[in-house]
Amino acid sequence: MEQVVVNGLYLGAQYALIALGLTLIFALMNVLNFAHGQLYVLGGFVTYTIYGQLKLPFVVALIAAAVTLAIVGALIERFLFRTVIRRSAREESTMLLAAGIAFFLDAVILLVFGEKQRGVPKIIDGVFNWDFRVIMPYDRILVGFLAILSIVAFVLYMQYSKTGRAMRALAQDRVAAQLMGVNVDRYSMIGFALGALLAGVVGGLLVTITGVNSGIGGPISIKAFMMVMIGGAGVISGAIAGGFILGMLESVGLTVLHSYGDITYLVIFASLMVFLSIRPQGLMGKPWG
Amino acid sequence: MAEFLEVDGLTKRFGGLTAVSNVTFSVREHEILSVIGPNGAGKSTLFKLIASFLRTSAGEVRYRGERISNLAPHVTARKGIVRTFQESKIFKDMTVRDNVIIAHHLRSSASLFGYFIKSRAAVRDEREFGLSADRILEFLGLDGIKNEVASTLPQGHLRALGIAIGLATGPKVLLLDEPFAGMNHDETKRAVEMVRSVRDRGVTLLLVEHDMSAVMNISDRIVVLNFGEKIAEGAPEAIQQDEKVIEAYLGVEDDTIGL
Amino acid sequence: MTQGARIAWVGVFLAVVLVGVPVFISLSGRWDLYFTLTSVALLSIASGGVWLTFYIGRINIGQGAYALIGGYVSAILVVKYGVSFWLTLPIAGLFCVVASVLIGLPILRLRGVYFAMITLVLTEVARLSMLALPITNGAKGMTNIPLPGALDLFGVTVIPDFASLADVKPAFYYLSVTLMILSFAALYRLVNSRLGQLCRSLQQNEELASSIGVNIAYLRIVAYAISSFLGGIGGAIFAAISQSVYPSSFTIADSINFMLNCFLGGLGYVFGPMLGTLVLYFGWDILFQTGEFQLLIFSSVLIGLILALPNGLLSVRLTKLGGGPARRG
Repeated sequence: MEQVVVNGLYLGAQYALIALGLTLIFALMNVLNFAHGQLYVLGGFVTYTIYGQLKLPFVVALIAAAVTLAIVGALIERFLFRTVIRRSAREESTMLLAAGIAFFLDAVILLVFGEKQRGVPKIIDGVFNWDFRVIMPYDRILVGFLAILSIVAFVLYMQYSKTGRAMRALAQDRVAAQLMGVNVDRYSMIGFALGALLAGVVGGLLVTITGVNSGIGGPISIKAFMMVMIGGAGVISGAIAGGFILGMLESVGLTVLHSYGDITYLVIFASLMVFLSIRPQGLMGKPWG
Repeated sequence: MAEFLEVDGLTKRFGGLTAVSNVTFSVREHEILSVIGPNGAGKSTLFKLIASFLRTSAGEVRYRGERISNLAPHVTARKGIVRTFQESKIFKDMTVRDNVIIAHHLRSSASLFGYFIKSRAAVRDEREFGLSADRILEFLGLDGIKNEVASTLPQGHLRALGIAIGLATGPKVLLLDEPFAGMNHDETKRAVEMVRSVRDRGVTLLLVEHDMSAVMNISDRIVVLNFGEKIAEGAPEAIQQDEKVIEAYLGVEDDTIGL
Repeated sequence: MTQGARIAWVGVFLAVVLVGVPVFISLSGRWDLYFTLTSVALLSIASGGVWLTFYIGRINIGQGAYALIGGYVSAILVVKYGVSFWLTLPIAGLFCVVASVLIGLPILRLRGVYFAMITLVLTEVARLSMLALPITNGAKGMTNIPLPGALDLFGVTVIPDFASLADVKPAFYYLSVTLMILSFAALYRLVNSRLGQLCRSLQQNEELASSIGVNIAYLRIVAYAISSFLGGIGGAIFAAISQSVYPSSFTIADSINFMLNCFLGGLGYVFGPMLGTLVLYFGWDILFQTGEFQLLIFSSVLIGLILALPNGLLSVRLTKLGGGPARRG
């Protein structure tokens, strides 16, 4: 039982980071970032290149991934989304753009990094073993810890820093924020960069555990969507809640439903349908119009 | 014998805010009853509750003894309680005539599938609705522009179209949401006549309105709301002299002047 | 467009598709075109379904799920229970209808991005389910699906056994194209009937539609069910042609492509999805020659198009083939 909980927490922390990035972008720009999974993959590959191939320290690799993704995110917002949002009022346009960007990133990643599954050496060896009730490799614990640290850092940043407060104001009420002098363009770009950064960091962390390959971008995006639907879109606490809940459900599902084959996600989805019928806005989401 | 339309203890809370509080009154058949009150008194909310576009927090609305509140809005509409909308919502991309024809949907007996295969019922509907639409358009003075696209219409015509849509449904009770808003004196006079003739066709009318002279002119009875509560009910003359009503409308001014 | 002109256009279209294309192919020897055009026909049926969901104001990126489900239902019935393909076709469609009603009930009241999200999730869940359920053979998929057998009605062989034909390709072509014509004829009829008007009223003003007695929830589910039916039969025929179906036969990318087909063809036109599918499919095919850069170029062009005409992409009037704007249709 404890093992299931610990696994769930570990998974949940990673997922929450991914969901936070997605929900931040959504809150700021009302854009569903279809390419979020691809950003995760990119982070993983950058880390793989720097840590796995160039043999530089893991910390350097992680920072490199973060910086790369922040730049990519900023570029995407500045040159692609900003143009489209300005010129089109329809939701479909940004969705179409996001889909195009997802395809594009998939293509680039495939070309640059190839289609093979890549892994890196463990960052810490050894396994934590508590009376055989909880067995957890040290590197997972470290990665989980780093993820939780990042979540805390993010929440504090959003809560107390000037940039964070500006972004929250923007997310709540775009017009009011503008009237108060918040530079919408600048903070949209920072927000997207930050969201991309978070996805990249998780990719970098998890490449040390599960590796990375070019094809998992889409499925990761899907998981991110599910978390956001569970927790409520555009709300930080919702993203964290959604992430941990999905992590926990996966952990429980894999253990409990193991004998029935891999129907964990089918069950999660069916439950999600039922949940959404009762509470369409997710746990903490604002009731949309 | 059940009353025609009863509003019974209607209450609506939005989180901590009580928009409508324990409002009770009855509407008689064929009468024109206006609901007035200062801004924010809860009039629009009341309308939405009666037409079942909002769920009640407490109380209910009954039509001929049958509960019509807390049903799906289209079900309440089908029972004959139809509302028009502030700023006259219409189907912008359709012609005036199509707007009115489609509003007859409420009276249709054909099924969705019937529409698809052009069943006898569907064909009959088409024919009848077309004729009825033309009659309504003529009645409201819109038949000159009936083939214009609705989005191109000026305010006055839009208002009339909104009422035409309401009429097309063949309502028993029509809830008119600020039908005289933004009209000048002459337009209001014409609109008042139009509303009266709608009543003469056998429709019971409930109005929310700010234009006092129009309200006093046209109403059989008036209900006054303030801060979500009913503070007065009665004939126009009585309401005009009711102290509580005068206070509600002028109260703020008294405070600031210091009387 | 006058009634006469309309009929003329339809006539030309039918002539080209039913007679012109086969003649061209046999003369020019481009037998590969049969597969290409058959695919276009089937994909446009599925895209037509997505178009219908747009018509009730929802962005549907989940059609891949129903195509997959339809394919599997047909394959399983044929392979494991020996049911005639022709019977599995409507069954696959109906299975999708039931599934879509169950799924649609909770999700159809979600709007915009939220609905899109959940339909995207649906596509992935369908794939995962096909991977996991014992009846579907998991990752190995279902292979060696026999070709459609003969269809006998009242003792008369209406459709010969496909295995007995010298060349199956024209047969599948005619099957797909016929169903495409029927599907779009039905969509056209729907859009131009009172039903279409009700859907448009829904799009324009939900509250007003309610107040005139439109049962919004019901109308949405009906439209979604029809949409899924189209997805299902498209997928079923695909399985029959490829004689195999895998969990990865229809992925998220396919769902997105169906949506793209609708956008490119113009959301206001019933026949838009047909055109959009044709253009996108051929575009993708032509790019095949660029080898590994295929996806890169395709997505770059896509992004470029969106940047250049974000609204235009959705309403650009490429042609009046088949009837003009659905609104005044």
